[in-house]
Amino acid sequence: MSKQYEIPVGAQHISLLEPLHFKFTTENEKIISTAANVYYVHRGIEQACCSKFKFRQVSFVVGRVCGLCSISHTTAYSQVAEKLLNLEIPRRAKYLRMLVIELDRIHSHLLCLIHVSENAGFEALFMKTMQYREFSMELLEAICGNRIQYDFSIVGGVARDLKLPVAHEVVGRLKRFKPELDELMDIFMHNWTLSLKNKGSGKITRETAMRLNVVGPFARAAGLAIDVRNETEDLLPWKEVGFEMITGEDGDVHARNIVRLKEIYVSINIIENIINGLPESELVTETKAFPDGEAVVRLEAPRGELFYYAKGNKTQVLERLKIKAPTFSNIAGMVEGFTGNEYGSVPAIIASYDPCLSCTAR
Amino acid sequence: MNKTNGMKTFLKALGNLVKKPVTVKYPFEQTYIPDDYRGLIEFDESLCIWCRRCEMVCPPGAIVFSQDMEGKHTYHYNRAVCIYCTECVRTCPKEGAIYQTAQPASCALKAENINNGWNALFEEALKSRAAYAAEKKRLAAEKAQAAKKDSALTIKQQGKCTNSP
Repeated sequence: MSKQYEIPVGAQHISLLEPLHFKFTTENEKIISTAANVYYVHRGIEQACCSKFKFRQVSFVVGRVCGLCSISHTTAYSQVAEKLLNLEIPRRAKYLRMLVIELDRIHSHLLCLIHVSENAGFEALFMKTMQYREFSMELLEAICGNRIQYDFSIVGGVARDLKLPVAHEVVGRLKRFKPELDELMDIFMHNWTLSLKNKGSGKITRETAMRLNVVGPFARAAGLAIDVRNETEDLLPWKEVGFEMITGEDGDVHARNIVRLKEIYVSINIIENIINGLPESELVTETKAFPDGEAVVRLEAPRGELFYYAKGNKTQVLERLKIKAPTFSNIAGMVEGFTGNEYGSVPAIIASYDPCLSCTAR
Repeated sequence: MNKTNGMKTFLKALGNLVKKPVTVKYPFEQTYIPDDYRGLIEFDESLCIWCRRCEMVCPPGAIVFSQDMEGKHTYHYNRAVCIYCTECVRTCPKEGAIYQTAQPASCALKAENINNGWNALFEEALKSRAAYAAEKKRLAAEKAQAAKKDSALTIKQQGKCTNSP
């Protein structure tokens, strides 16, 4: 047996995007075991939501949990509050929520691909993808009025309407983006340099993914067909707008990239369907009731299943709010995925997991 | 890589030399701002009915009303605390009293003391309102007392006093 070394990565490291600590035990550059440590950025948001803010204000607070999937958090909270109030929201609001969630998914998936290419050492692809991603940010800004914090879903519906010129711009920009996405798909599929770091590294099998309860594109790349959009129909009609399940086979970094790219195609399709068949109705259902009872909501965020639990007590302030972010479910799978890989491919693997620690630690 | 493909790449690289950059030279050029950008909140004093609903719904507490001893309200707004969620505009019962512009907020400067100064102002505003309410209550009580005394006096003078409360 050769000598073993322990290498710490994080909580501050050049290849990490957010504070996350890994301790790798390596032998001849091969990783034997890994220990992970999260929760460096705890902000006490759940406690603030249950003490300082009224239940209608909480949807703006939970939007600040994460900068990338802000709309997923606000929508999930709005849905759980609507369940507590027994409120049925207008049809147009449902479709607009789906539209913004899918646009958000496009920019989040592209950002993940950007980080994978950068951490694998492919700076030119990093800049190219960043350039192509800008359209989705501008569209979100045009729809929601802000670039990062959308504040689009409110309790009872949505805050803003989709105006006709903006809808035309969305369709036009998506049409222009499609050839660019084909180009990215070609590079991520066939580039030899990128495949050196991507193919076969960070591999996780279907059985392990199932045993460790992995969610999101991470699980789908391993061949596990789980997606909340496929399972629930009561809150947002996903299948009506053309949702398709995308799964990979290999479960490595390459498979995750391809799953994300293919999901962007599905998202584009969904957005086009929504804009073509947007129903006319009110935007908000007004109510003067207070939340009462308990409710649970699941929503597919860009990184996987987002879970919200809320308990009301007929007052303005909620009694309990629990947020379970997708990255929290994935940590066990993330630790497992490193085993047997070279230490040099760690940055690309971490980026391909697409971890969001601010969501996890809240 | 075959010969034609290499030539194509070379020509593309040459073309990139004369292409305009994708990035925006920010302080000198304006970045993309949509028409209905969520910008600064403006207030129209002549239309306001002083119901203070915008203050109650504001998630970060960026709006506060103070009150002087004559009962006149003053509107205070902090652009650095505001999250531009438009909740105040949505809840306002009088259309046009509070509205959103597409004007982005300017940076907060150290000289403005925007955090501590705002916290102090917020508390002072609440205190001023409490002081006005207490003063009003005192005046009302005094008036009631005076009225009672007055009515008792007149009843006595008329000599029709009954023992019923």
